[in-house]
Amino acid sequence: MSRSAARDAGDSPGHDTLWRLAAHKLLRDRAGLLALAVVGIYLLAAIGVWLGWWAQEWALITGSKWGPVSAEHWFGTNIIGQDIFQRGIYSTATAFQVGLLVAVLAVAIGALLGAVAGFLAGGWVDEVVLWLLGVIDAVPFYLMVAAIAFALADYPYSMHVAMVSTFWTGTARLVRGEVIKLRGLEFVEAARAIGVPGVTIIFRHVLPNTFHILLVKFTLVFVDAIKSEVVLSFLGLGVKEGMSWGLMLSESTLEFLAGQFNNLIVASSLLFGLVFAFNMLADALQDALDPRRAA
Amino acid sequence: MDVLRFALRKLLAGVPLILGVTLLSFTLMVHFGPDRTFELLGKNPTTEQIAELRHQLGYDQPFLLRYGQYLRELLTLDFGHSDATGEKVASLLARSIPVSLALVLPGFVLGNLLGVALALLAASCRGRWPDRLIMAAAVFGMSISFLVVIFVFQIWFCTSHGLDLFPVRGWGMADVPDYLRHVTVPTLAVVFVALGYNTRFYRAVIVEEMERDHVRTARAFGSPPLRLFCRDILKNCAIPIITRITFTIPAIVIGGALLLETSFGIPGAGKVTYEAIISGDQPVLKAVVGLTAMLFVAALLVADILYRVVDPRVSLE
Amino acid sequence: MAGTALLSVRNLTVEFDGRAGRLRAVDAISFDVLAEETLALVGESGCGKTVTGLSLLRLVPQPPGHIVAGEVLLDGEDLLALPERALRRLRGRDIAMIFQEPMTALNPVFSIGAQLGTVLRRHQGLSRRAARARALELLEQVGIPEPARRIDEYPHQLSGGQRQRVMIAMALSCGPRLLVADEPTTALDVTTQAQVLAEIGRLQRELRMAMILVTHDLGIVAESCDRAAVMYCGRIVEMRTTAALFSTPHHPYTVGLLEAIPRIREERLADLPVIPGRVPDLAQLPAGCHFAARCPRATDLCREVVPAPLPTADGGLVACHHPYP
Ligand SMILES: Nc1ncnc2c1ncn2[C@@H]1O[C@H](COP(=O)(O)OP(=O)(O)OP(=O)(O)O)[C@@H](O)[C@H]1O
Ligand code: SF4
Ligand SMILES: [Mg+2]
Repeated sequence: MSRSAARDAGDSPGHDTLWRLAAHKLLRDRAGLLALAVVGIYLLAAIGVWLGWWAQEWALITGSKWGPVSAEHWFGTNIIGQDIFQRGIYSTATAFQVGLLVAVLAVAIGALLGAVAGFLAGGWVDEVVLWLLGVIDAVPFYLMVAAIAFALADYPYSMHVAMVSTFWTGTARLVRGEVIKLRGLEFVEAARAIGVPGVTIIFRHVLPNTFHILLVKFTLVFVDAIKSEVVLSFLGLGVKEGMSWGLMLSESTLEFLAGQFNNLIVASSLLFGLVFAFNMLADALQDALDPRRAA
Repeated sequence: MDVLRFALRKLLAGVPLILGVTLLSFTLMVHFGPDRTFELLGKNPTTEQIAELRHQLGYDQPFLLRYGQYLRELLTLDFGHSDATGEKVASLLARSIPVSLALVLPGFVLGNLLGVALALLAASCRGRWPDRLIMAAAVFGMSISFLVVIFVFQIWFCTSHGLDLFPVRGWGMADVPDYLRHVTVPTLAVVFVALGYNTRFYRAVIVEEMERDHVRTARAFGSPPLRLFCRDILKNCAIPIITRITFTIPAIVIGGALLLETSFGIPGAGKVTYEAIISGDQPVLKAVVGLTAMLFVAALLVADILYRVVDPRVSLE
Repeated sequence: MAGTALLSVRNLTVEFDGRAGRLRAVDAISFDVLAEETLALVGESGCGKTVTGLSLLRLVPQPPGHIVAGEVLLDGEDLLALPERALRRLRGRDIAMIFQEPMTALNPVFSIGAQLGTVLRRHQGLSRRAARARALELLEQVGIPEPARRIDEYPHQLSGGQRQRVMIAMALSCGPRLLVADEPTTALDVTTQAQVLAEIGRLQRELRMAMILVTHDLGIVAESCDRAAVMYCGRIVEMRTTAALFSTPHHPYTVGLLEAIPRIREERLADLPVIPGRVPDLAQLPAGCHFAARCPRATDLCREVVPAPLPTADGGLVACHHPYP
């Protein structure tokens, strides 16, 4: 620590090596690579949907009610004759849209507020941020979503807004703690001593040093977002346009009492695969990036 | 006396939190929320009728006054009547909260106990196959959606496609067999979903504690592993464990129950909340949000007092 | 040399898994400890002193550590081959250890009386009350003021010196035959250091224990040890009686250490590069003699062939191709 801190104040100390070591470790982590590949396949499926390559007939009635598994309908059709597989693939795009949007925004907001609060720890800004964190964590998630849904009336992205406004708190707490640690390090103090303004210190010297935390947090928030989407859509508080695994699952409640499981199987397997891969990826990243979790 | 003064101080410190929560939810739900004037009035209302109803609903009063009104409701636990059913909100909650507790608590307790047990097992075999197996199973379990677990358990335990042992929907607490009949499947679902998270959390805490110097000292003086894990390490881990348990209680009473109760048709606080969300029943929602915030502050307080009990280094200061 | 060996360490080798692969922290070391004698283990920070001490009781953290070879014979019985259960009965009773870090070595959530009592009840089969009475006696013996009050206090309420005294009380509670004291005073301030050391010495004589005293401080070695083993990068490079070591050091590393003494006095060896050059990274040890890069007498032979420990005229050992006479 002291060796890296002793470097020139303009550097992010020891960072290249951290990342190089992490990349090296990740490349040797077979489970992590496999997880990355699976996430890549899902992403490809989603991109294909966005570009119109496949799963474009998800809303069309192309078969009969509860049609069986066939060459035409790989996983049969639903209660009104739509192709379940196409709907499942289409929902992958929805999942990525929700996951990416929410994870990027929540982590960015959390990092920013956490860094500012940590940098000014002890001052009133920090107090306000801490208070806000407490308030948001004290409101049950579903109520928060409902409240935001109310406030935004029929805005199609009210679910996204609700998730972002609740999911940023975890990142903020982590980054705040990390920044408080970094703040005392020599390279930050040196920057301060030579009169570098606070904003510059936060963005140039402090935030880059928390990037490894943010990356792991991103994967975890992504998982939270797509898992929450499923529940919220089932409760009627989620996705309002298009199709999602949550909507498929709530559709499946009409079917499984009648012995039709295709919707349930397709939606839950696709959901599980993506969440599992992301969880494994998060673990691999954590192992690779956290020096304390060596061996 | 110390404890009492400490508790009072902590409660006072909780006031800004409660104010924040209520202000946030009030602003979102009531201030920006739907205007029910025309929903309640018949066709072609007169201006006077409109004005009178708006006065009755309090819409014509300034924001701060209405918010103050809400705070008073919260202090007196008198939240008025439900918009949807006309029942008193207080009695609605008094009826449904015990149901939620009865529904969620067994799974919560079991999930945590099993989590600690598995975590101890994994940590004591660190790096070897039982550890790997348990941790792989934990990630597997964490990756399954609560919703899917509920559905699959319903199909499996409650329908003719599976074992068909329990009712799919409904609730009863008249006697023990009745209670067991209704609580078993939801409990299994709760345990299944929570177990992965709990095991991982507790293992991380335990492993961190295992690496401390005093554990090495204990081993150097011949402490047997069972005693080491079940007494020394667990007591040292008490703080993070208490934190986790007390802080998930408020969330689980509303959040956990909400999904379970809507899926199993159980008339608890979660279902009441859900129906209030769907129908925009503001008096009920305001009550639920306010009470959860208060529960949260209470949990903070309980956790702080428990810290003091288990760890001599934490003082009441 | 007179006396029989209480403890015989043979060929002990300990490795750690690290980021940069496996490193060998202790490399095939052998030494004996005679009954009632004090053996010093000296060397720069990171040379493997603590790991050696921990290995004797099989306390090396695992993972990442592995005791890959060797024997630790206590009265002829190999502790490294003993079943876990038998070893537990021996830990604290026959061999006790005092740790380097008094601040963290005690459990923060149990009172010191409870921690002492646990050990007494386990090894001596005392009742709760008898254990408490004995714990009081022990605290008195190691010089804790007001033991009756202190016994119910928690470690955080005690100063560093007092905590180390509690550790000593615990180590001596069952009258062990061998005490491993791992830098028992490094973390303490200078006056406390002297007191604690004197206390240990007095109790050692009283209880007729053998002791392995790990230290950086050659002054301590000169004052209170019968023999000393000098370690460098996981190997014992010289092992002699204290008098012989100080009068005619054979190994160039020992000579370097001794030359540095007047310059350091109160200072810790670890803080000052007293010998030119740096301790090599354990992960990238040179072949041959580990000290070659810093040694004024090094030759090509040194850089290629590991010097074997050879007996000296006075019954000691030195591992060097070109020792000082
Ligand atoms: N838990 C561990 N994990 C990895 N490596 C370790 C561990 N403990 C010790 N080592 C390695 O073993 C070597 C010897 O460590 P040891 O603690 O025995 O040194 P020491 O001689 O006691 O030093 P000091 O005087 O600083 O206490 C270290 O250089 C380190 O690389
Ligand atoms: S073996 Fe050679 S290099 Fe090593 S200490 Fe002896 S003379 Fe020096
Ligand atoms: Mg040491």
